[in-house]
Amino acid sequence: MSDFKIDRRGFLKALGWTGAGTALAGCDLPTTVTLEEGAEEVVSYRLPKEYAIPGVAVWYATTCTQCAAGCGLHGRVREGRVLKLEGNPESPVNAGRTCMMGQAGLQNHYNPDRITRPMQREGGRLVPISWDDALALLKGKVGKGGEIPAGKTVWFTGQVSGHQAVLIDEHLKRLGGGRHYAYELVSEGVWQKVCEDLLGDPQPTLDFRAARLVVSFGADFLGASPSPVHFAKEFAAFRHQPGDRGVLVVAEPKMTLTGASADLWLSPKPGTEGALALGVAHVLVKRGWNVVDVPAELRRLLDRFDPRTVSEITGVAGHRIQRVAFLLHEKEGAGLVVAGAGLGSHKKAYEAAAAAMLLNILVGNVGKTIKPGTPFPEPALAPRRGTTRALLEFAEDIEAGKVQAAFIYGTNPVFTAPGYLKMKERLASVPFKVVLTQFKDETAMEADLVLPLHSYLEDWGTHVPPVAERPALSIQQQVMKPLYGETRGFGDVLLALLKDLDEGTFGAFPDYYAYLRTAMENAPAEVKGGVSGWDEMLQKGVLLAKAGPAAGLKPKLVAPQVMPEEEEEEAGSRPFHLIPSPRLGMWDGRHANLPWIQEAPDQIAKVVWGSWAELHPHTAKELGVKNGDYVRIESDHGAIETQVYVHNGINKEAVAVPLGQGHEAYGRYAKGRGVNPLRILAPATDEKTGELALYATRVSVRKLDRSEKLIKMGGSETQAGRKLVATISADVYRRTEGEV
Amino acid sequence: MSLKNILENWSAYRKDAEKGGHHKYEHQWGMAIDLDLCIGCNACSTACYAENNLAWVGPEKFAKNQAMHWMRIERYWDQKDEEYSEQGASFLPMLCQNCHAATCEPVCPVAATYHTPDGLNAQVYNRCIGSRYCSNNCPFRVRYFNFFSYYESAWPAPMHMQLNPDLTVRDKGVMEKCTFCIQRIREAKDKAKMANRPVRDGDVITACAQACPTQAIVFGDTQDPNSRVAKLWKKHQVERGPYTQKKPKTDPEIRGYRIFEELNVDPSIMYLERVREEV
Amino acid sequence: MIQEKDINEQIEWAKINADVMRSLENPRMAYWVAVIICLLMISCAVVAEIYQYNVGMGVAGLNNPHMWDLYIATFVFWIGMSHSGTLLSAILHIIHADWRKPIYRFAEAMTTFSLMTAGLFPIIHLGRVWNLYWVLPYVSDRGIWPNFRSPLSWDAFAISTYLSASMVFLYIGMIPDLAICRDSARGWRKKLYSVLSLGWRGDDRQWRNFRKTYLLLACFLIPLAVSVHSIVSADFAMSIMPGWHVTSFPPYFVAGALYSGCAAIITLFVILRYFFRFEDYMTLPIMEKTAKLTFAIAMVWTYLNLIEFASTWYGHNMYDKEVLIAKATGPYAWVFWTMIFCGSVVPFALAFRRLRRHMPTMFVVSLLLNLGMYFERWMIVAPTLSLAHEPHQWNVMWGSIVEWAIVFGSFGWFGLLFLVFVKVFPSVSMYEVKEMIFHRRHHNDLVDILEEHESAMHKKGAGKPGLEGA
Repeated sequence: MSDFKIDRRGFLKALGWTGAGTALAGCDLPTTVTLEEGAEEVVSYRLPKEYAIPGVAVWYATTCTQCAAGCGLHGRVREGRVLKLEGNPESPVNAGRTCMMGQAGLQNHYNPDRITRPMQREGGRLVPISWDDALALLKGKVGKGGEIPAGKTVWFTGQVSGHQAVLIDEHLKRLGGGRHYAYELVSEGVWQKVCEDLLGDPQPTLDFRAARLVVSFGADFLGASPSPVHFAKEFAAFRHQPGDRGVLVVAEPKMTLTGASADLWLSPKPGTEGALALGVAHVLVKRGWNVVDVPAELRRLLDRFDPRTVSEITGVAGHRIQRVAFLLHEKEGAGLVVAGAGLGSHKKAYEAAAAAMLLNILVGNVGKTIKPGTPFPEPALAPRRGTTRALLEFAEDIEAGKVQAAFIYGTNPVFTAPGYLKMKERLASVPFKVVLTQFKDETAMEADLVLPLHSYLEDWGTHVPPVAERPALSIQQQVMKPLYGETRGFGDVLLALLKDLDEGTFGAFPDYYAYLRTAMENAPAEVKGGVSGWDEMLQKGVLLAKAGPAAGLKPKLVAPQVMPEEEEEEAGSRPFHLIPSPRLGMWDGRHANLPWIQEAPDQIAKVVWGSWAELHPHTAKELGVKNGDYVRIESDHGAIETQVYVHNGINKEAVAVPLGQGHEAYGRYAKGRGVNPLRILAPATDEKTGELALYATRVSVRKLDRSEKLIKMGGSETQAGRKLVATISADVYRRTEGEV
Repeated sequence: MSLKNILENWSAYRKDAEKGGHHKYEHQWGMAIDLDLCIGCNACSTACYAENNLAWVGPEKFAKNQAMHWMRIERYWDQKDEEYSEQGASFLPMLCQNCHAATCEPVCPVAATYHTPDGLNAQVYNRCIGSRYCSNNCPFRVRYFNFFSYYESAWPAPMHMQLNPDLTVRDKGVMEKCTFCIQRIREAKDKAKMANRPVRDGDVITACAQACPTQAIVFGDTQDPNSRVAKLWKKHQVERGPYTQKKPKTDPEIRGYRIFEELNVDPSIMYLERVREEV
Repeated sequence: MIQEKDINEQIEWAKINADVMRSLENPRMAYWVAVIICLLMISCAVVAEIYQYNVGMGVAGLNNPHMWDLYIATFVFWIGMSHSGTLLSAILHIIHADWRKPIYRFAEAMTTFSLMTAGLFPIIHLGRVWNLYWVLPYVSDRGIWPNFRSPLSWDAFAISTYLSASMVFLYIGMIPDLAICRDSARGWRKKLYSVLSLGWRGDDRQWRNFRKTYLLLACFLIPLAVSVHSIVSADFAMSIMPGWHVTSFPPYFVAGALYSGCAAIITLFVILRYFFRFEDYMTLPIMEKTAKLTFAIAMVWTYLNLIEFASTWYGHNMYDKEVLIAKATGPYAWVFWTMIFCGSVVPFALAFRRLRRHMPTMFVVSLLLNLGMYFERWMIVAPTLSLAHEPHQWNVMWGSIVEWAIVFGSFGWFGLLFLVFVKVFPSVSMYEVKEMIFHRRHHNDLVDILEEHESAMHKKGAGKPGLEGA
């Protein structure tokens, strides 16, 4: 699909400058090139363009968009090509560090499967068209006097922020006020609602540095979270406090990256995390370790959750429950209880998260480790937080005929939506779908119009990170000239659409760059954070903003009804809980088209290039399976077949199939690999928030006859008696180490 | 390995092995990796792929152990026999330890691997004839061989534009391994030389250390007493030298250690023990 | 009637010449079939090697940690087999065991061809074969020399020295025979032998020089052979890998080599005796002696094995013990126990006279012994690499079809060389057989004379017992 040949001449031409520096040395192939044959014209720049001094790298600051965290980046550019991405030390999100997804962004940018021409659906297939035709089509549909009735155009995106989000709003406003759905499979919807209801602030600041204890109920903050690098950085500081050390307790159905670093990893039966939290609360209150008064209703509720009962419900040993309570008490005011997506995936997710928040309130963490949020001073630029509820509402609205035109950007619902939603068929009923994307993913394949975008390294934008040490505006800067002539920036496309509808307001800007520059130069002082000129803004890459007004936290005690009302149907034919887990790397499947991500072994299972189903050794024994055996995992809505990986970091009643594989399109590296567990999800949502209950599907697991070697890294699961990773106890650490 | 060199420095080659090397070192690059901070996220490994033109090999070759991950994050389960792995997993970033008394160096028939005055174990791609003895003799098994011309498939256009021109793309038949980002060291040394000053701590950082979100990897010159890494080595009482530490640590519970130290290879990487609360 | 004498002392010189030179006659069908089979085997290897050269070493199934596998094992095997000739021709020569004389020629040829086969493998197993010559110390314009500390560098010296010395020894030893051939040959053979026999006339002075040279070379070759295989063992012993870093490797390898060589001698003995009808020369007593020698070496090898196992078992090195236990009980266990069976149990067949004298049994036994020895080399290379210090890199690997094809083809190459040899050069040393018969005859004559003298003296009653002109 690309215009580049791989032969040596083409290669060198693409570098822009022939000569030393790109030796395929170390190969010494037995072919020789004579001096005459090998002679090439070497023309060095008399006036180097863009500071392109051969051999000297230039660095440009930009923002990573591989997930919604908005980490700041520095891109290393040599001879006009970006070669390496590093963190921007100025960014309060990541402070100069990156994660594997950030590093792999280069493969997103240079991917051979990028779409390079706009495409239109004709007779069931996508055929390439010109931008002029594409824009004309758009004008006809959603331009001034376009076909689509007012208010029936929607935007369906991933989490967006900054000026792009502003323009989306402007676009919808001018089309009669359709809705902007922000959808992320890795959603904090439940936690945010709990914070809003119980604290009065949907986005409080979680101060890890002030904490000496973190208890996580399913919050994989180091992995699939709103800001993995930021939390990793905070976690490091939390771990190594002067003369002390933070303790991490994690309760989740399947070990995630966060659970792997736990001092105590607990695995309550999936769906019973709320009971576990209440069990801890029971102990706290019983012992009088609560620092706030407990209302009678709550007290009555807690009486029912004594350790023995809770132990029966959850499968967690009673002494552990006591121990967690003790830790919270011991580190009173320095504890931090969090709940995340791993928890917010059951029908009673809200209640369970509320129970977790309860613990914070009971031991007085609020105000000490949970502090008022620091909202971005310009709410218009603040992130539209992605939730799964948005997907469900989008699906409903399509059904109800409210969607006649959909602009889809930064998300792949046909792949990530649960199978029962039948997203493909649903979208087919939307008369006009525009997908703005770089790749032919499953959603693009269903589009009526596909608009090829620049990669994030070729584009301009602004982003407000959802979580940071302080509010900030991160600038996305073009790091190299676009590889392809026919891709366009996202902002540019938005601007073109808007110019058509409102020449008056937007006509003055030739392109999005101009719009951004004007907007930034005229931004209020709280946003600019003391930076004056545009050049300086670009150099810094991140503007440290002044927080907007935030109400103080008003903790409220509630009595969470964590137990399901009706008796759970007999497990019977579907005894296991399916855990389709997102992870740092593949995320929700969006990075399956990057070979580095495919080849990076999953952090827990160390499997590469495929899918697997994690089972506990007891479960494996019952089923008679071992590593590599194929099993059939069946829910009431479908079945998947994949290989087994056995380890004791998963609940005995759970089977975890990590997300990311099972693509049916999306390029050569993603397509046709593994299975997508989202296909077989049951229609379950959290009762209170309407968020998708991702872990609420019950499945049966049956051994199949097939067995193949599991493709994973590592010839031994144990250290076999060697001192490779030695572990010492924290008491010793505290005794021997002061300042690190 | 010229004849002149051998003849002139014969005495040094013979005797200085006891001192853990046969050079007067300009630098002694080393690392301290804190296993209590390592969360096993793979950022370092991916950064290494990007920086050093490492080829991804695909599932079939990966299954045959023919992959090229210079830096690999090993994951061990320490509580396999218990009901649940209550203390999580143990992660170990394993990369070339750049041993001062490397076992790979003496066995190469053509001297394609040798010890530089910087204290690095250098792999000279041009010289390697691919006998693979060095990899056999590495107890850490961190040497990777180009079993195929991976470059033929790993960088389909335009992915080849990402290749780092500061180092080569290796063809089949050549051994390779972590070099402590020698191209970055070279660049820093050149810059320092042009500015007429010594290399300062912080001038060089390896790709893995730069990426690490928890800053578990600290890289620097252990010979420079002011560098972060030298201070860490000193604090954790790990010394250079091929033989077991001459004096026992004042506090045996100090966290620093080197892997396979009993093999007397004098690795340049100190690991800090992982810590877990007894809950 | 059981033949007791090593050789019939009454054979006439002319008959010896005729018998041996009959083997050089135009070959029968069976010979051509053998040649074609060997060529087919070689072509398997050539195809596989071309593929490997073009695509990369990965097609052999090699990986991290198995950077070496059957190529190195086969290399050691062929080097080992080369000790046959040296043992027979040189060692036995020096201790005046003249029963070696009818069989040493083909044994020495076997040495040379084994080395020529073995020498292919360091080339084949290299990742960048075309730069092979860098292991040789030549004056390069970059001032770079090979790394003299590396056992692989020593290998290069040792094998090339041993190969050239063996070839010289074989050739020199053949000169009187080549003269015999020259005298009764016609056509291209006459030209060939005339050139090669270097104008040998067989006069006294030439014989005296010849004896000195032969003895000198034999004395030179013995330490050379021992050192070569010790150096090859250093490829393993000089590393730190468990299972390799064993001080008993040099004698162990040399013992294994002698063992391998002797077994191969038995194999070829049976074949040549049958096809060329050399029953008068490759006699049953000689077979018996060879078998007894093999048995003795088998016991030495067994002993050295036990010593290695014992010292590993009672040592305190976790890694070594791990490898040993894995050899016996792990995925390679079937290879290990076959090796033990073939190497330590099967040789007991050589302890029985009836079996020793039964050619088909000896043929099968010798092949089994060599199978055991091949597996031994394999078991030296593979289990250590599949384990060792780093558990994360533990891995079991079996060679791919490419590897096996090349190994298979090496046997074809050896076979072809040998087949060509037996049709161009006399595979029994005519002059040495004559020497043997002469000495035996005269020795017996002398014994008779002595006995007569003794009894005569006895009858006479007293007098000095004297040995006149003995």
